[in-house]
Amino acid sequence: MTTAGTSLERRPLAATGIAIAAIVLVVVCLFPFAWMALSSIKKLPELFTVPPHWLPNEPTLDNYATVFFHSNIPRYFLNSCIISGGATLFALALAVFAAYGFARFEFRGKAWLQTFVLVGQLLPTAAIIVPLFITLRWLHLINTYWGLILIYTIITLPLSVWMLTSYLRGIPVELEEAATIDGASRLGVLFRITLPLAMPGVVAVIVFCFVTCWNEFVFALVFAQDQSVKTLPIGLAEFSTEFNTDWGGVMAASMVMTLPVVILFLAFQRLFVGGLTAGATKG
Amino acid sequence: MKLDKLAGGVAVSTLMLVPSVAMAGDVVWWTPNWSQERAQKLADDFHKANPDINIKLQITTSNGLPQQVMTALQSGSGPDIIEVQHGWVQGYAQSDLVLPLDDTIQDKADYNKAVIAEDTYDGKLYAIPYRIECTALIYNMDDYLKAGLDPANPPQTWDDWMAASKKMTTGGVYGMAITGGGEFGNTITRALPLVWMNGGDIISADGKKAVINSPEAVAAIKFYTDFYTNKVSPDSTLQNDGVANRQLFIAGKVASYLTGQYDIAPIAQAAPNLKIGAFMTPHPAGKQTAGILNGWSFVIPKDAQNPTDAKKFLQFLNTKDNQGYFTDTFPARVSALDLPRFQDPTLKPFAGMLPYGRPTPNTPHWVQISQAMFNGIQRILSGQQDPQAAMDQANDEIQALLDSD
Amino acid sequence: MARPSPGLMFILPAILILMMLIAYPIVYTLILSAVDAHGNFTIKNYANVLKPYVTRQAFQNLIVYVGGSIVFQVILGTAAALLLNRKFWGRGVVRSITLIPWVVPGIVAATTWAWMFHTEFGIINYMLAGAHIIPGPIGWLTNPNTVMPVLVAINVWKLFPFVAIMVLAGLQAIPAELYEAAKIDGATVWDEIVQITLPQVRPVLVAVTLLLVIWGLNAITLIYAITQGGPANLSLITPIQIYQLAFVSFQFNAAAALSVLFFIVAAIIVAIYIKVIPSSAETAR
Repeated sequence: MTTAGTSLERRPLAATGIAIAAIVLVVVCLFPFAWMALSSIKKLPELFTVPPHWLPNEPTLDNYATVFFHSNIPRYFLNSCIISGGATLFALALAVFAAYGFARFEFRGKAWLQTFVLVGQLLPTAAIIVPLFITLRWLHLINTYWGLILIYTIITLPLSVWMLTSYLRGIPVELEEAATIDGASRLGVLFRITLPLAMPGVVAVIVFCFVTCWNEFVFALVFAQDQSVKTLPIGLAEFSTEFNTDWGGVMAASMVMTLPVVILFLAFQRLFVGGLTAGATKG
Repeated sequence: MKLDKLAGGVAVSTLMLVPSVAMAGDVVWWTPNWSQERAQKLADDFHKANPDINIKLQITTSNGLPQQVMTALQSGSGPDIIEVQHGWVQGYAQSDLVLPLDDTIQDKADYNKAVIAEDTYDGKLYAIPYRIECTALIYNMDDYLKAGLDPANPPQTWDDWMAASKKMTTGGVYGMAITGGGEFGNTITRALPLVWMNGGDIISADGKKAVINSPEAVAAIKFYTDFYTNKVSPDSTLQNDGVANRQLFIAGKVASYLTGQYDIAPIAQAAPNLKIGAFMTPHPAGKQTAGILNGWSFVIPKDAQNPTDAKKFLQFLNTKDNQGYFTDTFPARVSALDLPRFQDPTLKPFAGMLPYGRPTPNTPHWVQISQAMFNGIQRILSGQQDPQAAMDQANDEIQALLDSD
Repeated sequence: MARPSPGLMFILPAILILMMLIAYPIVYTLILSAVDAHGNFTIKNYANVLKPYVTRQAFQNLIVYVGGSIVFQVILGTAAALLLNRKFWGRGVVRSITLIPWVVPGIVAATTWAWMFHTEFGIINYMLAGAHIIPGPIGWLTNPNTVMPVLVAINVWKLFPFVAIMVLAGLQAIPAELYEAAKIDGATVWDEIVQITLPQVRPVLVAVTLLLVIWGLNAITLIYAITQGGPANLSLITPIQIYQLAFVSFQFNAAAALSVLFFIVAAIIVAIYIKVIPSSAETAR
């Protein structure tokens, strides 16, 4: 599978350069995360020492016990999975069609419609939250999974359409033309040729949608008032009382919120491989 | 994998789609997570005495609470009872978002007068306060004794206070930490009473003129920021709020700071060996001390589904014993202060401040006005302006706000 | 391929959903901005938000914050994507680690960084002073000269993985024979990047930058959690000002007016951007 990566055999110096760059990247990304991870196994007196120290003298798993057995995090984890997953699927379905329309066709008012897609994103959250609440209440969707799924779809749809449009534009149109000549329908071309070739872009959009929904706080707070639908970010806020925050618990909960997504990505990142093999464009 | 979850979601959410119609006899109560257990007990007790009324608790968090409450009130679909801070009540009352409760409150004369004034708008009472608190000074007993100070004779005047704080600033420890960062409420709670003590104010009594740049007010602000200028307050003051100061106190970097009694338990938990002392906020020589009364009240939204039962429940919640049980700090009822729980000697200075507590001014722009004062204090602390210039600028901004109606 | 109806059919579902749910908030905000507390028509709200100096200050801070962030997010993100595109041992793990800053909940990342940059508790001052790089503790978040750069740096850390992942996906669409042909011609790594890679991912880069602008114009979590817009409004940005007006000061009409103004300015920026990039239906070559 000759993809867009290059092999390193002929460039030993480049190999060292790449190793250093990779190490720098890992350190930059992990530095605060390591602090969070270590904080999650510290007892309260060790969290705010002056001078600060990295490693705990008495590591403890109490914070994780709190998260798993004495908080609402497990239930919220399930809710977050359902809501984020649902919104991602819904937004993806809509975005795939819309992006294909924008990427491959010309029609009157296209530029205006493309702008319109983005318009909703430009309104500040503080301005749209009350009217959206009224709308959802009218639809009887407050405190439901579908209510939040719908809201998150609106939040992620515009950017998904834009990203996916640019990815689809990167697929050579000749490949589709060849299939059309052979008698395939528009939809057939979309699903059998274009999308598989744009798989990295599709995966990127899935990641974007899921991560955005997973961490969203404000809308979840307002639209999910009942424990049965609350999401993980609200669970995080529940570790704070009026004047006090269980920082060990917050850090442990953050680990629980972050690691599954990262591990999931690790499993799927092999899909970040281009489908354009040599000779594909030569008909 | 995702399809399964989606199917599960559809199944579960179909059950959820049944709209939560509040049946007659249901009272929905938004209560914060830090008093959840007590709230549940009171709800159960009430239900035993009134079996046809069901109290449903929905737990709120402090993060995002103003937004949550405002959205519910403005959209016309909220719960029956909400717990809010006293300072928010004016805004709700002016926008006609909550019901007047003059017909609900019992023994009004038993309540702390200042907090009743704060919950009153246009002659009507729009919230029932149940909890009040004032700040005083907490100090590290070891540092205090080491500086040669006497716990039986704490500083009474500003001069004594500054002198004592300087004595405690030694060996890498800061004598007295002020707040200069975080949410502006932290600093207003600590600095505005100093202005009052010295005879000044932030706006005139009729609410039309800004007076924060009067000589008395500026002198008080200067006294507050002098703790930082004299290096008695840590270098990080501009980013510290009350919680940060508590953490510095626990870490042994700070010998004393202004706060409420809600810090005592967290300090004991984090540093069991730290001996704490407390004294009332000192005042200028020959004058009286003062404090801002913070705390929480109950409101009933205008569009509540079941106001009748909600009012009944509020009366139950605000009996002397129940108020005394539910509050985190002090009850709003004066008679409830006699309950055994409030006789703890460590609480004495904080209880002593209550009669000197004053309400924040009743003006529609209060939040922006206090923000202007806070920004001025920050400008002084960051060295951009001296106290007079900073307060002059704040005065202009506040006057513009008062004139903008 | 240029018939109007198929294209419109494809985009119709998305447009309909968006229209249903965005139209009402837009109308609601417009109306709210043009009435006073009693429902009478007035333009006072606009006057009240435009007059104070703080509005201009917040907007200037916003431009600095968003502009500074985007420059480095795109540069670092693209560099990371180029690195993650090369084959090396452990690439999958490094890719996943790169995702972490973006996935970590915003509020936790914000408070952790604020903690680390704290003058007294912070590990950063501790390490820098210990290595004798700085003479004493620095007030990173309190000094007027450092507070904005530090906030920009944190924002870059948080979002450059988004750029990296999006650009990495775009890099996969580049056919290998382009590189092979270049190698035959004797191109260096640098030549490859400049002549082949970057032009190929230009559409993705353009879209990503646009998204970062839009996101940046509305993002309050980081700054709000770390400095609340202080000290003394030095880090206040317009979205935070709107939030404070609406939910802290109860000035909904003023908040609506500021939202409308903000929306118009943002829409102009976006419209200019869209006009500049090509919108043809062919490929990016």
